[in-house]
Amino acid sequence: MRYRRIGLIVYATILVCCFCGLVIAFFSYQEPTRELGAIYLSRAPSETGAANIVSAIYLNYRLYDTLFEILIFSVAVLGVRFYLSDYREKEIVEKIPESQIVRTSADLFFPPIFLIGIYLTLSGHLSPGGGFSGGVVAGTALLLCAVALGANTVGKRFHEPTLRWLEWGVLLVVLSLPLLPIVVGRLPFTALLPPGTMGKVISGGSIPIDNLLIGIRVFIGTWVIIHYFMRHRGEV
Amino acid sequence: MIVLLVLLSLLPVLAAFALSRRRRFTAIVGMGLFSLILSAVYLLLHAPDVAVTEAAINAALITFIYIIAIRKTGRLVVVSDEIPGLLYREGEQISGLEQEILSGFARQLGLELVIRFLPVEQVPTALHQGEADIGAGGIISEIDDNKVLKTQGYLPTALYHLSRQTKPHLKQEESAITGFFSDLREEFQAGKTQACTLDLARFVALSRSDLSPYTVRRLDGLFSYIFLIAPARERLHHQFVSYLGKLEEGGELEKLTRRYFS
Repeated sequence: MRYRRIGLIVYATILVCCFCGLVIAFFSYQEPTRELGAIYLSRAPSETGAANIVSAIYLNYRLYDTLFEILIFSVAVLGVRFYLSDYREKEIVEKIPESQIVRTSADLFFPPIFLIGIYLTLSGHLSPGGGFSGGVVAGTALLLCAVALGANTVGKRFHEPTLRWLEWGVLLVVLSLPLLPIVVGRLPFTALLPPGTMGKVISGGSIPIDNLLIGIRVFIGTWVIIHYFMRHRGEV
Repeated sequence: MIVLLVLLSLLPVLAAFALSRRRRFTAIVGMGLFSLILSAVYLLLHAPDVAVTEAAINAALITFIYIIAIRKTGRLVVVSDEIPGLLYREGEQISGLEQEILSGFARQLGLELVIRFLPVEQVPTALHQGEADIGAGGIISEIDDNKVLKTQGYLPTALYHLSRQTKPHLKQEESAITGFFSDLREEFQAGKTQACTLDLARFVALSRSDLSPYTVRRLDGLFSYIFLIAPARERLHHQFVSYLGKLEEGGELEKLTRRYFS
């Protein structure tokens, strides 16, 4: 037992030394480069046609990063679905009595919040926003409704099998997007569609489509998380 | 620039606030405020994309999920019968010696105290089924239940046997009390009860009504009031026992007892 402990300490020391050595070696051999950033800044507007350079990078040059982020989000939603559907509450947490203030504010705020979500999703290539934040904002609007009316009441308005089908179908389409340009014969990632004029609503090549699909995926995922938490752990 | 500095200096303050709160709900509100201010900082640092995402996910969604998560774990559920002096309703409020002890303990753990009133005989069952954490309400140290965990006695008491017949009942199980204490008191006043064994607090409360038809006999032995902890909650049991020990050492228990029984 004691030898094992000594061995572990030696092993950890070696690992730390190796890591520090690698870091020092990396910085002494090459200066951090700034070329790539300059290239992106000069070439992104003409190549992608997106006014928002951030989305030009994460939905074009770094599309794979974004796709794997979406995959991580989907796995998280899958985990919530999987673990919470087995989870039965022994003691039902009693519902907090309905409040007129919450109800009225839900009626008042649901449409604008939902619209802001859609706007953020669709204008991701022009201004700050994008599928991720737009989807979550729209999902938060549903959260407000679920708090005011009860998750099951809101949940009944959705057709559960369609929702599930849409959720995974959209994910499949999103994941197959970077493959399409290769199949069609264009340059990978740069465009399914022509870039268009910068600043127009229809511009940015395939970036708005990506944003829309990601937005739908994130919106459904957010709703699933909210719904499952409220259904299996008690209402708020 | 000044705005940015003020917001940045608020961040560690809010983080310390959220970490140091005993009440979980306040800590979560602190965390939500933290992310809201963080998103303002992102906005000032010219990263509006990140700011929007931070506000939507951290300030709204994560706060909500945390609130749902603490709804069950953030509560200390106590089941008890209503006993005058120990744990009783006073209008909307619940007060009594046991309430003071339990609310102090819940405050120390940072939990919200929830008291549910149940008939006496259902208190151990509720603990077995995991519906509650602590059983209270004048429980005697001689209770015959091996599954639940027991604390030390916090207040000495005595047992009284009341019976209508001239010969006192020998079998104690028959005369064990069941149901709510308020029902028992009504039955006593109506003269329905034949025999029962009462602890000191219940006996004192009953002795205000007319007890002349009953023969009263004090049972031999030393008894005291204890709390019950749900089975397999060793950690809670340990915490509660040490909390009671500290109360006793510090003399606070005596002060509380004097406030309710003197």
